[in-house]
Amino acid sequence: MRKNFLALVATLSFSPCLLAQKIGVINTITGAEAPIGENITNGIKLAEEDLKKKGINLQLVWEDDTGKPQISMSAMEKLATRDNVVGVVGPYTSACSNAVSKLAEKYKVPLLIPAAAKEEITRQGLKYVFRMNAPADKYASSLIDAALSLGKPKSIAFIYENTDFGTSTSKTAKDYVATKGIQVVADQSYPKGAADYRSTLAQIKSKNPDLVFMVSYAGEAILLMRQSREVGLQPQAFLGAGAGFTTADFANERAISENVISCTQWTQDVNWPGAKEFDKRYKAKFGKVPSYHAACAYASMMIMAETAKNSGGDRAKTRDALKAGKWNGVMGEVQFADYDGFNNQNNHQMLVQQIISGNYETILPSRFATKKAVYPFPKWK
Amino acid sequence: MAVFMQSLLSGILIGGVYALIGIGLTLIFGVMRVINFAHGDILMVGMYLTYLAFTSHFGIDPFVSVLITFPLMFLFGGFLQKVFINRVLNAVAQNQILLTIGLGLIMSNTVMLIFTSDYKILSTSYSSSTFQVGGGVSVSVPLLISFLITSVITVALYWFLLKTDTGQAIRATAQDRDAAQLMGINVKRMSIIAFGLGSALAGTAGALISPTYYIFPQVGSVFTLKAFVITVLGGMGSVVGATLGGILIGITESLSAVYISSGWKDVIVFVLFLLVLLFKPSGLMGKSRT
Repeated sequence: MRKNFLALVATLSFSPCLLAQKIGVINTITGAEAPIGENITNGIKLAEEDLKKKGINLQLVWEDDTGKPQISMSAMEKLATRDNVVGVVGPYTSACSNAVSKLAEKYKVPLLIPAAAKEEITRQGLKYVFRMNAPADKYASSLIDAALSLGKPKSIAFIYENTDFGTSTSKTAKDYVATKGIQVVADQSYPKGAADYRSTLAQIKSKNPDLVFMVSYAGEAILLMRQSREVGLQPQAFLGAGAGFTTADFANERAISENVISCTQWTQDVNWPGAKEFDKRYKAKFGKVPSYHAACAYASMMIMAETAKNSGGDRAKTRDALKAGKWNGVMGEVQFADYDGFNNQNNHQMLVQQIISGNYETILPSRFATKKAVYPFPKWK
Repeated sequence: MAVFMQSLLSGILIGGVYALIGIGLTLIFGVMRVINFAHGDILMVGMYLTYLAFTSHFGIDPFVSVLITFPLMFLFGGFLQKVFINRVLNAVAQNQILLTIGLGLIMSNTVMLIFTSDYKILSTSYSSSTFQVGGGVSVSVPLLISFLITSVITVALYWFLLKTDTGQAIRATAQDRDAAQLMGINVKRMSIIAFGLGSALAGTAGALISPTYYIFPQVGSVFTLKAFVITVLGGMGSVVGATLGGILIGITESLSAVYISSGWKDVIVFVLFLLVLLFKPSGLMGKSRT
C-alpha cells in the first residue's frame, strides 16, 4: 500500500502531463504603456487556449509592472522565489526588461522577452535571457535601408522619447547613417508626456532634413505627426520606429498618418505559418486589430510553455532546450542564436510598412510586399 | 528669428492652459490649505466628459462642451468637498494628502474600468489646422481658441473674486478662516464653492486640451506635477501668481526645447523653480504668512 502510494506521488510529481507548468508573466497592465501591454496580454491568452488544446496543463502567474523597472524587478523576485515558476515571459518595455534580465540570471530563471527593443538586453552575455523580437539596431537599419532604396536622402533629423527605447534606437540609427553618408542635422529627445513639440519641430523644419526619424510610444506618435503638419515640416519621408507608429489608433488618424513609413516585427498579412489565422482569431475574440506585440507574445508563450513541459518543469533543462530548439510559427522561423555580440537572440526578419489608404501595407522586403511604396512624402494638404 | 517667435508664441499659448490648471489648484489651497493631489485626475475626468460629449450622438464640439463640463465639474468638486475633504480640514496634513491621493487613484481606476486604458484621440476638423501670421510663424487654431477661452475665464474669475460678495467671502476665508467665521461667513459653504470652482477650472482645462492632446486614464499625473510647480512658483494661494507661473512655465519649456534640448526642458523648468524658491521662498507673488 505504502509502496503504491509512493509510486503515485512519484508519478504525480514527475509526470509533466499532470503537473501544471507554472509560467510567470510580467507585463504592463496598467500605466501609460497599458494600451500596448493589452496586446501582449491578449496574445498570451490566445496562446493559453492553444496550449490547453495541446494538452499542456498551464498555470500562469500574472504580474503588472505598470511600466516601472523597480516594480518589474520586485515582480521577478516574487515569481522566482515565491511562486517558483519554470520560466517567465515579459516584461514589455525596454527599461523593465533590462532591469529584470539581471535578476533572471541571478535566480537562474529562463526569461523570454517578447517585444523589448534595447540591444544591450541580450548583449550582456546572460545565459538565461532570451529575446523573440529583433532589437533596436534592426529597427534603425531596416528603415534607413528602405529610405535609401526608395530615394537619395542626404540629411536626417531625429526626434525621440528620452527613454531606453528611444535613445537606444536612435543611437544605433545615428551610427548606421554615419556609415551610409547621411548627415544628421538635428538630434532632439523629449520627455514622455509632453504636450507641445511645436518649437522642437519648427527648429527641425528650419534645418530642412530629407528624412525625419521618430521613436515614440502610442500617444506621442499622433501628436508629433499632428504638430509636424501644423508647423509644415515636409521631409521626403517620415520614418517611425515601431511602437506608437504601428498601432491601429495611429492608422485611424488618416489626415496625419497617411504615407508614414514604419518598421514592424509582424504584419497581419505576412505569410508566416499561422499568422493570418492568428489575426482572424484575435479580431474575433477581442474585437481589435492585433499589433506585432500580440504576435510576439503569443509565439513567446507557446515556445516557453512547450519547452517547459518537455523539460519536465526544470529551469536549467528548459534553458538548455530553449537554446537548442528551433521553431516555425506566427513569427516565422525562431532560433535563439549568438551573433554580432548578441546572446540567445532570435535573428528576426523586420518588415517595413507604409500606411496607404488607412491600412498598413508591407512595402519591404519585396518578397513580403503587398503594395508599392509612396515616395517622396506628398505635400501636406 | 522665425523659430524664436514660433516657440515664444506656442509657449504663451500652451502656458495659458497651464495657468488655468494652476489657478484651480491655488484657489483650493488658498481657501482650504489642503494640497489637492487629485487635481490632475479631476482634469482627466474633465477630458473624459468632453470625450463623451464629443462621441455621443450630439457630437458636441470640445470647446462648446466647456459649457457642460464647467457646471458638471463644479458639482463634482462640491460633492468631493462636502463628502470627503470637509471631514479632514482639521486633520494633520499627511491625512489630507493621503485622502486626495486616494480619491485620485479611485478616479483614474474607475475611468480605466469604464473606458479601458486605450488612448482616446479627439479628431475635430480643426485639430491640426493652423494659420500663418507671417514670417514663417504659424499658430495652431485649437491652441489659440483654448487660449482665448482661458483668458475669458480668468478675467471672469478675477471679477468674481474681487467684486462679488461671494468672491469677497472666499477671499476672506482664504485670508483667515477663523476671523471670517466670526464675521458671519459660512466657511464650510465657501470651501465647497472654492473646491467646486477649482475642479471646474481643472475640468475646463481638460476640455480645452482634449482636441490637441490624447486622453488616457493615467494622464492626470503629468498635470498634477505641473500644477504644483506652477502654483508654488507663483506663490501658494495667489491667483495672479498662478497665471504668471503658468505662462512662465509654458515659455520656459518652449524656449529651452529649442535653444538647449527638448530632452532637458523639464530640467530647465525645475532649475528655474529652484532658483525662484531660493531667492523668493514664498513664490513670485506669494506673501509669506506666519
